[in-house]
Amino acid sequence: MEDRIPETPLFDRSRQRRGYRLNKMAMGLVDPANREAFRTDEEAYLDRFGLSAEEKQAVMARNWQEMVRLGGNVFYILKISAISPARMTEIGAHQAGMDHETFLRERLGKKPAGGR
Amino acid sequence: MAKLIGGLGSSHVPSIGAAMDKGLTQTDDWKPFFDGIGPGRDWVAANRPDVAVVVFNDHGNSFFLDKVPTFAIGCAERYDPIDEGWGPRAIPSFEGHAELGWHLVDRMVENRFDPMIVQEIEVDHGLQVPMELFFGKPDTAWPVRVVPVFVNVIQYPIPLPSRCYELGQVLRKAIESFPGDERVVVIGTGGLSHQLQGARAGFTNPEADREFLRDIAANPGRLAALSREDYVRLFGSEGAELMMWLVMRGAMDPDVVVKHSHYYVPASMTGAGMLVLENRAA
Repeated sequence: MEDRIPETPLFDRSRQRRGYRLNKMAMGLVDPANREAFRTDEEAYLDRFGLSAEEKQAVMARNWQEMVRLGGNVFYILKISAISPARMTEIGAHQAGMDHETFLRERLGKKPAGGR
Repeated sequence: MAKLIGGLGSSHVPSIGAAMDKGLTQTDDWKPFFDGIGPGRDWVAANRPDVAVVVFNDHGNSFFLDKVPTFAIGCAERYDPIDEGWGPRAIPSFEGHAELGWHLVDRMVENRFDPMIVQEIEVDHGLQVPMELFFGKPDTAWPVRVVPVFVNVIQYPIPLPSRCYELGQVLRKAIESFPGDERVVVIGTGGLSHQLQGARAGFTNPEADREFLRDIAANPGRLAALSREDYVRLFGSEGAELMMWLVMRGAMDPDVVVKHSHYYVPASMTGAGMLVLENRAA
């Protein structure tokens, strides 16, 4: 099922193998001590999980679209938003290539100034 | 013997739980959804189940990718709510029904389903939110014991929709061969349409959702015959978790009565629904 559905990355074998370390890093953030380590020295925390330069850059830029391209799965990488707040709709808008207002209006049928 | 008294369906969107935590249920964004859950709660209150068998998926909280069971059955005496990364939520632990869990495992294996057996695990919003929607958020203890049924709908290969339906049929036999007088509900959770990843993020499909809510009662065979790809195309990459409602539906008689059906979109980024089914012969 390799992207036979347009604009829909399925978490198949190749994606999850590629993204394993990235997702493991994000999964680590369920531990409060790891959240603190991430806050204190983000790059050092990322290095503990052996992330590549490309992966580290995507995380540090909070580039959700790129993290997903690199095999990140939203259920794991979302945990980064517990540290640097981003709403699910903002993460969705980023991947859709829209600003938040436009995303809420065009994809979710919200009126302007809608919440999440 | 234990008795299956109903099949319930519910979304498990985490922001539904957050909306309850933050007292946002009457805001413009949330009121239309929460306005429709009352009859589901009323049904539960009137029918007094003792046990809820909750079919859901973990969302990268209790299982990481290092171990991914396709199906897993909770056989624990207690399930704590897990900290998903935002700090623990103020809801009571869930009392498990370990004896029933083990019995379900026995009958499943005898019927050629081979689940992972789990005796220590925490549970995420996939179980929490449907319990809160149907039972409210209690101060100290939930009014029912739970048996969690975990389904992998995240890492491919995920199970076939038809397999989920067959699992429900086995669960029915298993529940009603349990030596006890428990009144049991099966809760299918997840969905409805939503997509959280890729350029199609924010996709919902209200028309397909409404058809699903109708056909899960009246024509489940159609929904069980769809492919996984059909689910993703119709309901979104994460909306494919709707196939877990087929486990609930498989546990019910072919002929059911719809006691309550509610739909609202969007709850956060998701089509949100609630459903209550009874067997017609019951």
